[in-house]
Amino acid sequence: MRPRDLDLLRGTLDLLILKTLSWGPMHGLAVLRWIEQTTHERLQIEEGALYPALHRLERKGWLGARWGFTENNRKAKYYRLTPAGRKALAAELSKWSRYTEAMQLVISAEVAQ
Amino acid sequence: MSRGEERWPGLRRVFRLPLGQRGVARDVDEELRFHLEERIEELLAGGMPRAQAEAEVRHRFGDMGRIGAELASIDRGTERHRARAEWLGDLGRDMRYAVRGMRARPLVATIIIVTLALGIGANTAIFSVVYSVLLRPLPYAHADRLIQLRERNGPKDTQGMVVTAGNLATWEQRARGFAMFGAYTYGGFTLTGVGNAQSVSALRASASYWKTLYIPPVLGRYFNASEDRAGAPHVVVLSHAFWESTFGGDPHVLGRALTLSGTPYTVIGVAPAAYELGLQARDLWVPLALPPSALTNHGDHELTVVGMLREGVSQEQAVADLTRIEMALAARYPHSYFDGHIIATPLRDWVVGSVRPLLLILLGAVGLVLLIACANVTSLLLARAASREKEMAIRRALGAGGGRLVTQMLAESLLLAIVGAVVGLGVAWAGVRFLVMRSPLGGPRLHGAAINGPVLAFTAGLAVLCGIIFGVYPALGAARVALQQTLREGWRESGGVVRVRFRAALVVGEVALALVLLVGAGLLVRSAIRLQHVPPGFDPHNLLVVRTGGMPEVRYPSDASVLDAYRRINTAVAALPGVRSAALVNLIPIGTSGTDCSVRPEGTAPDEGSTVVANYRSATGNYFATMGIPLLAGRTFTDADAADAPGVVVINRDLGHRLFGDANPVGKRVHPCGDTTSAGLEVVGVIGDVRANGLDAPIRDEMYFPNTQLVRRGMTLVVRGDVRAATLTPAIRRIVARADPLLAVSAITMDDIIGRTLAPSRFSSTLLLLLGATGLTLAVVGIYGVIAYLVAQRTREIGIRMALGADSRRVLAMVVREGLVLAALGVAIGLAVAWVATRWLASLLYGVSAHDPLSFAVAGAILLLVALAASWVPARRATQVDPTLALRSE
Repeated sequence: MRPRDLDLLRGTLDLLILKTLSWGPMHGLAVLRWIEQTTHERLQIEEGALYPALHRLERKGWLGARWGFTENNRKAKYYRLTPAGRKALAAELSKWSRYTEAMQLVISAEVAQ
Repeated sequence: MSRGEERWPGLRRVFRLPLGQRGVARDVDEELRFHLEERIEELLAGGMPRAQAEAEVRHRFGDMGRIGAELASIDRGTERHRARAEWLGDLGRDMRYAVRGMRARPLVATIIIVTLALGIGANTAIFSVVYSVLLRPLPYAHADRLIQLRERNGPKDTQGMVVTAGNLATWEQRARGFAMFGAYTYGGFTLTGVGNAQSVSALRASASYWKTLYIPPVLGRYFNASEDRAGAPHVVVLSHAFWESTFGGDPHVLGRALTLSGTPYTVIGVAPAAYELGLQARDLWVPLALPPSALTNHGDHELTVVGMLREGVSQEQAVADLTRIEMALAARYPHSYFDGHIIATPLRDWVVGSVRPLLLILLGAVGLVLLIACANVTSLLLARAASREKEMAIRRALGAGGGRLVTQMLAESLLLAIVGAVVGLGVAWAGVRFLVMRSPLGGPRLHGAAINGPVLAFTAGLAVLCGIIFGVYPALGAARVALQQTLREGWRESGGVVRVRFRAALVVGEVALALVLLVGAGLLVRSAIRLQHVPPGFDPHNLLVVRTGGMPEVRYPSDASVLDAYRRINTAVAALPGVRSAALVNLIPIGTSGTDCSVRPEGTAPDEGSTVVANYRSATGNYFATMGIPLLAGRTFTDADAADAPGVVVINRDLGHRLFGDANPVGKRVHPCGDTTSAGLEVVGVIGDVRANGLDAPIRDEMYFPNTQLVRRGMTLVVRGDVRAATLTPAIRRIVARADPLLAVSAITMDDIIGRTLAPSRFSSTLLLLLGATGLTLAVVGIYGVIAYLVAQRTREIGIRMALGADSRRVLAMVVREGLVLAALGVAIGLAVAWVATRWLASLLYGVSAHDPLSFAVAGAILLLVALAASWVPARRATQVDPTLALRSE
């Protein structure tokens, strides 16, 4: 399956970004790599969608951003969760688990028939 | 993980510094470039050739340009949001700080707030009256197109005359610049059948009056063209006030029958309160209903005319067109008291014209008071800034920017100004109530004065302006504090010299402004006193004026019956105990202006230029003696001057001079009021000049005709009392009621009439005196503050001088001199400013030059004296300095 076919809802992408950044500040590419590595490349984020999502979250005040340096000493823009972002993440997570639970119930019911 | 991460903790600012628009674009570029380069390097590491790797990465990313633009647009929103949040945060912090500052020094804050509350409150009150009376548009539809039109009598005539019915008819046919003309004249009736008989004042108005000056009626409708016609059914429109006072606001008043001077009328409508009927008519409107013959009358000027400009036509165009028509009329009807020129005044200027100078002067005066108040507050803030210099220096040393300190200090002064303004609104509310209740300006436009939206906006603007005016210098000073020096100098003050000099300049300014106010007040007070002492030309004391409503033709069909009725009333009143004499006149001097008509000496033709326009009245022979008007030559009227006897006239000295020069007018003959008989009328007597049209009005040329020969249906009794005149009123009322229970009566003493005419001048002089005193008080406080501060600063110096043997008188003189120098400088500047500024007062002054030396001298002397007193107190304290303590104080 081409992960690209997976239609990631914007809300889902926001959740992935918030969750990823909950581990600590990262630049955009690092967020991308982290998600890809964690999902064993099964989930591939569209680069053209990632950056707008990051900037929108910054606009909402959920992410803070500042310039920093990578280990190869290159200048990069780092994002981190703000306290508001942390709260939002918790809310999104519980919403997400309620949603998947419900999905699971429906799907399991079909299988049992 | 990365070096970037280490930079996060410990810093207060999680966000980046503000970027600006160009910074946003650069940021986005840089972020994306980093991303692309990293990706390319990944691929290169995997062995892909560079060109292919670059193409692959770009392809995978998608449309760079579009995404970059999207990011930049999001970031710009972020920036705006952040800037606003920071600004609000700073503001909140500044305000909290300001409140803390105020609470730390409650006395200073209270003084400042009270000062500002008085200053801003007074300004708000006056402004709300100015707004209501001068600025608010007239209540009529198309008010901006309404022009009052008058006919010019001659080249010297600036007021113009009201319009003849014949000329108006011609205008209505030919004038192209005006959509319509409304016309009215004054009239009076005796209303019977509703309670006691009462005299009512009326406006006789044309039907087009209602279209020209349109405000929707409260009840019913206004009269139309078919009712504005001689012989049409009689209809009446009530004024709002009259509807409420006489009919208790009865909603079913429509269709009700009223009897006006014996004629039945039907109520068809009630006009809203916003209609202004002028001073003489305030009760009702009846149709003008001119008889057809009036349309050819080009000689009697009796209609007040308001024209409505046609849409898109300017006043100049319309008046030029009308002047052409009027010129043709003047050529066709010579000797009709119009020369073909039109005097046009926008209706609003005409309505408010008379009170404008007074209101603008009051506004100017309260403005000056506020400036003085601001100067005082600045001075106080500077003194406070001096004591906070240390704090500022430390804050700067800790990294606070100069700009931040300035905005913070300004926030403090703004907060003070806003609190002052809020308290000031209470002052303003009381002030507006006072002005509306007590001022003699009168009129519904004044009664509309209130603290409304525009007034609140004015107050808010004023508060911000004040906050900036008195805050900006202390704030800039605080930011300029010489850091090094202050910290090195220990806790002594450093910027003191500059600041004291500035405060001294403020005091000079305050004194100058206070002087301008005092000179203005002085001029108005002198003018009021002068006016009060103008001899009216008769004895106004113990004189009762009893007006009676007109005697209607229904019950008094002939002139003889009118004369007889009045004679009987007059005789009965004269016989009352306590009455010395009683006489009749149709129009009382000062209370009402007489009627004008032309008069020429015998032997001259009407167009010879010897014609004079004079004021004429109808009176009984004993009128002059009763009033106390001296008879200078000849005789007054006697019973022999009956209706059918040869016509006689009594003139005043002024008219005698004008008609006959130094010759004795008695026995000469004149042709008054269009008289065309060959004999004319004989001048039988000359009386002294009377201020017939008001104490402040010039002497007019006057003629008196015997009431038997010029019969008027509404006469006024003048009663000279041996006892207090007012106590005679009930008995006189009874006599009139016995003679004719339907005749309306109103009584007032002559002293009251004169008091009313003096009220505006008394009011304006009192108000300006009050403002002058306020300005003076503030200036004194300012002088005291600065001198006291100087003394406190120089405690050490004074101590040394005293220790070295200077006696206390020398010290006293030294300190007082400093105060006096400031005051003298202020007085000098103030005198110069007042010399120019009092020009604006000239129109309010009577019998006093705008450059009256006495007013200027007294105001200057008062200021110097209070300055002396204000410096004396701190100077005394300086002489009581204990040298040993003073020396140790450092």
